[in-house]
Amino acid sequence: MPVVCAGFLLLGIAIAAPPSLVDVAADISIAERAHDILVSRCLRCHGGVREQGGLNLAWRDRALRARTKGPPAIIPGDAAASALLMRVTHADPELRMPAEGNALSADEISTLRAWIDAGAVYPVLWSLRPIAKELPAAGPDSSWNTNGIDRAVSTRLASAGIPLPPEATPEAIIRRAALDITGLPPDPALASAYVSDPCAASWERTVDGLLASPAFGERWARVWLDIARYADTKGYEKDARRDVWRFRDWLIDAWNTDMPYDQFTQRVLAGDLLPGATENDRIATTFHRLTLTNDEGGTDNEEFRVAAVMDRSVTTWLAWMGTSMQCVQCHAHPYDTIDHRDYYTALAYFNQTADADRDDDSPSLQVAWERGKTTVPVMQELPLSEQRATYVFTRGNWRALGEAVTPSTPACFPMVGAQHHDRLGLAKWIMDPMNPRTARVEANRIWETIFGRGLVETLEDFGEAGARPSDSVLLDVLASRLQELGWSRKALIREIMNSRTYRMSAHPSEAALRLDPDNRLMSRAPHFRLEAETIRDQSLAVAGILDRTMHGPPVFPYQPDGTWMVVYSGDGWTTSEGGDRYRRAIYTFWRRSSPHPSLMTFDAVSRETCTVRRVRTNTPLAALAAMNDPTFVEASKAFAQRAIDATPGASDTERARWMLSAALIRAPRNEECARLAQLVAGEGAATDSATSTSNELAAWSAAAATVMNLDEFLSRT
Amino acid sequence: MVATPAEYMAELQAMTRRQFLANSAWGIGGIALASMLGADKNSNADTSQLHASGSAIDPLMARAPHFAARAKRVIFIHLAGAPSQHELFDWKPALVRHNGQPCPDEYLKGEHFAFIKGHPTLLGTPYKFARHGRSGQELSELIPHLASVADDLCIVKSCTTDQFNHAPAQLLLHTGDARFGGASMGSWLTYGLGSETSELPGFVVLVSGDKTPDAGKSVWGSGFLPGAFQGVQCRASGDPVLYVQNPEGVDRAARRRMLDALQDLNSMAAASASDPETEARIAQYELAFRMQASVPDAMDIAHEDPATLAAYGATPGKASFANNCLLARRLSERGVRFVQLFDWGWDAHGTSATDDILTQLPKKCKESDRPVAALINDLRQRGLLDETLIVWGGEFGRTPMAEFRDGKKDFFGRDHHPHCFTVLLAGGGCKAGTTYGETDELGCRVVRDPVPVKDLQATILHLMGLDHRRLSYLHAGLERHLTGVTPDARVHAGLIA
Repeated sequence: MPVVCAGFLLLGIAIAAPPSLVDVAADISIAERAHDILVSRCLRCHGGVREQGGLNLAWRDRALRARTKGPPAIIPGDAAASALLMRVTHADPELRMPAEGNALSADEISTLRAWIDAGAVYPVLWSLRPIAKELPAAGPDSSWNTNGIDRAVSTRLASAGIPLPPEATPEAIIRRAALDITGLPPDPALASAYVSDPCAASWERTVDGLLASPAFGERWARVWLDIARYADTKGYEKDARRDVWRFRDWLIDAWNTDMPYDQFTQRVLAGDLLPGATENDRIATTFHRLTLTNDEGGTDNEEFRVAAVMDRSVTTWLAWMGTSMQCVQCHAHPYDTIDHRDYYTALAYFNQTADADRDDDSPSLQVAWERGKTTVPVMQELPLSEQRATYVFTRGNWRALGEAVTPSTPACFPMVGAQHHDRLGLAKWIMDPMNPRTARVEANRIWETIFGRGLVETLEDFGEAGARPSDSVLLDVLASRLQELGWSRKALIREIMNSRTYRMSAHPSEAALRLDPDNRLMSRAPHFRLEAETIRDQSLAVAGILDRTMHGPPVFPYQPDGTWMVVYSGDGWTTSEGGDRYRRAIYTFWRRSSPHPSLMTFDAVSRETCTVRRVRTNTPLAALAAMNDPTFVEASKAFAQRAIDATPGASDTERARWMLSAALIRAPRNEECARLAQLVAGEGAATDSATSTSNELAAWSAAAATVMNLDEFLSRT
Repeated sequence: MVATPAEYMAELQAMTRRQFLANSAWGIGGIALASMLGADKNSNADTSQLHASGSAIDPLMARAPHFAARAKRVIFIHLAGAPSQHELFDWKPALVRHNGQPCPDEYLKGEHFAFIKGHPTLLGTPYKFARHGRSGQELSELIPHLASVADDLCIVKSCTTDQFNHAPAQLLLHTGDARFGGASMGSWLTYGLGSETSELPGFVVLVSGDKTPDAGKSVWGSGFLPGAFQGVQCRASGDPVLYVQNPEGVDRAARRRMLDALQDLNSMAAASASDPETEARIAQYELAFRMQASVPDAMDIAHEDPATLAAYGATPGKASFANNCLLARRLSERGVRFVQLFDWGWDAHGTSATDDILTQLPKKCKESDRPVAALINDLRQRGLLDETLIVWGGEFGRTPMAEFRDGKKDFFGRDHHPHCFTVLLAGGGCKAGTTYGETDELGCRVVRDPVPVKDLQATILHLMGLDHRRLSYLHAGLERHLTGVTPDARVHAGLIA
């Protein structure tokens, strides 16, 4: 196995990295190269969607099939007789394939020829091969050899001729770690304790402290709220409220108590089916009751019940397996070997619950909490006597019933463990250590949450058409560690934090810029804008007005008047009073048809469907929100007052120094302090009487707003 | 332009570079320009897979269409709730003759209604129709002003959809998918063509009738496309664009001083860590500053000629459909690629006087007839009609049968009807003064030239110079198109001049 693995690991590198940097083409098996040609040049028309000319090259057996006209597309061992070769080499451009775009190159044609002559073996998709368990070979620098992460990264960089990056300053590292782990800037005491003694032991203590903070769960639950399409309303036309916040709190607590991923998965997908299921186990199943419910008049409840069941299956495959099943509702997968029928066998796991798009969202569970009782919708299996049959829908139409099917997983995935034909069985199948997708997908997601980009950039697609891992050695290090750590995600995050890789500087070397312009090799710490929730939370925290109350019903911070205008609903936004205005963003009321506009400007998602990746954008609207949203305006005033209170009698330059260092968690340079002080002086001059208290506050509020809009403040570096 | 997000951004970056060379009026500031050109040295077409989230470039930079475009921009007027084609466009004498009679069985086979229960009766329109203009287009007495521009209209009587509830039908019309998560037409067009203005958003949404559409803001969402392409709602009251106004106590000069300090401090940091993201953020703050002036200016109709205001029936400072039509012209002439109007209140079921065809529908027609005709005339007078495509329509049609909900017959109205509805086109290279498609004698089903929603979308894209099969985006393993994953949408030549 190790030999085979080494081959495919190198393959991953070669596809993702610029060819000029890592030339390992010779090591890629001919089957890989041939198959990549099929995926990129043929399957668009001759894949699961179109099957033009009745030909589907995504599946080997179908490519080999006898055809009514001419020879089979592929005759293993005989390229010259194979229709595929004839068509890609045809002299007549009308008949030559591909029909669209350039002809295949001579090199591509010879690859296909050699591959067919050698038997046309289809390679196993990289993400379905066993996870490499071996520690990568030691790299060139012994300080980078203590763990697999550093070995993988340093070996990659060395082979590309890029010097190993220096460490960032202790200040930069502590800010980065606090934002990554807790979504909040570091507590000043914690930051100064570490900066004054930046040794290894002190670092590990600091990381442990951050991981033990309740803020950890609030930050990491966000990722799974997007996946869970969590919202406080039902969706569709009326988009009425529903009480589901207990699930959000369960999720926060699951992160904080470090619930192992296998237990987490079982509870979320099938907590109600666990022997002796507790109240919390059942609350966990609200995950799949967060599908949309349609209260619109005249709607067919069965249609929307079916839509919800489809969503549950699609969400499960997207979130855990990195597979897009949505397209398979109507036809076979265009690129992957997932058949139309597979969609319905996978769907069948979810088709036995008692919910049915009812206005009251039953079945539900009454749960007591400190201020009374709340009712939360949960999953509940139908009694055996009432179980439904599941059918294939012809062309995806729920009224056009085809063949009856029973639950099973698509054949292209490993058949592992005993097959249980309910949701719990599916959860166990997902978490079986022999299923290599699960650990890769979750480890990749953890990496993306920290570093802003997945090793597999397409978190939503680990299939043929998705991105290949930029570093498959590193991905397998993370995936195997996640399994070895008993599925403890907190432990994996700790290992990443304690790596030398995590501590690297964000300043690129000249060689890094030249040889790794897009930073795919991790030649420097990534620099990217913080996520929507962190932008808000950080500003409130730095201003000293963040209310750290955890849990409970959603809150209503400032939102522009008139944002909610929903048909057939008199529901309105009433701004919360007191501390609830300044709670962490994760507690903000989420209306699907109209999510909070400020968060949306920073690329939060509407949560109508499962989202595994937010795409960051950079627009003038985000700049307007950061400057003018009342929340940020109040934060800048509060921060100004903090600065004034903390530095009585100080010069403008010294107060500017305090402000910059409190926000950026580093010692500012003199020129920076001088420039900020210059702004304050200018504000004083503009208002003509800098002596009054209110003008002082106004001038320093301008300074605070400036600091809070700095790229460095809004970014993770 | 099949693209993964990374390929797409790389392509954009390549275009951006060309733009830099061609266009010295970039005008964002020396720092950003120099640095982005500097960054250029570090990349090339093969290796600079600029990540979708490494948004160091302007995704709204104007881009060339696939082929010569007939229209440069679109004004899409959506009458949310779905206006009745029977009362406005699709005159059926037979339906009037059979008014009050039970609907023939063959029209009910396999039929699902949103509200109608039992065996419905036919409902002939109470309104008179007449022929108008040189083209002799047949229009109802409810829309005299539209009748006056009949020779500018391309009346498509044969549109069809497969959704009979508002939210999914609106999603299908605007995103090509009845489910949530798709990208809206305005997003697709700004993704494909970029924006002609850097002072205003490329895709603007104006809402009237006090309600957003049933499907919420998803009908102008960017779905799986990057968020930069989502529609920006401009509002008549409060901030015209959310957060565009400076907070109390901060005037434009103060904002400028703050931004100068911000840019200086940003560049001090950038000097020590040159980063295209930082440079891009500098550019966006400058653009935001320009928008703070240009958006309120574009949205302020107070200085319009009184004759123009009167023609539209617009009143400065008031939120109305008429104001939105005038704003659509102002935004279009300033280069906004896609202006989307939504007007709520057309869902005439006939359960009360507020949703019937005798009171509510005439009221809505009165509100909307004059301004739409004024918009067409105004664009023509300004020489903009030929390059501005106006689309007017709802998300589906109305039944030829009366609804009579719960058996009550006090008011007249019609249920949702997916099998045929009428859409108007004007300007932008469409065939003016023509009627396209035909329905049966009861106005129930299309009998000639059916135009499914995806065909309408393909035709709109075609007029904008885009091939609906080439305008695509690779997402979650699927090559996504506005017109769906299967290639069966077609452009209707009969709609094109």
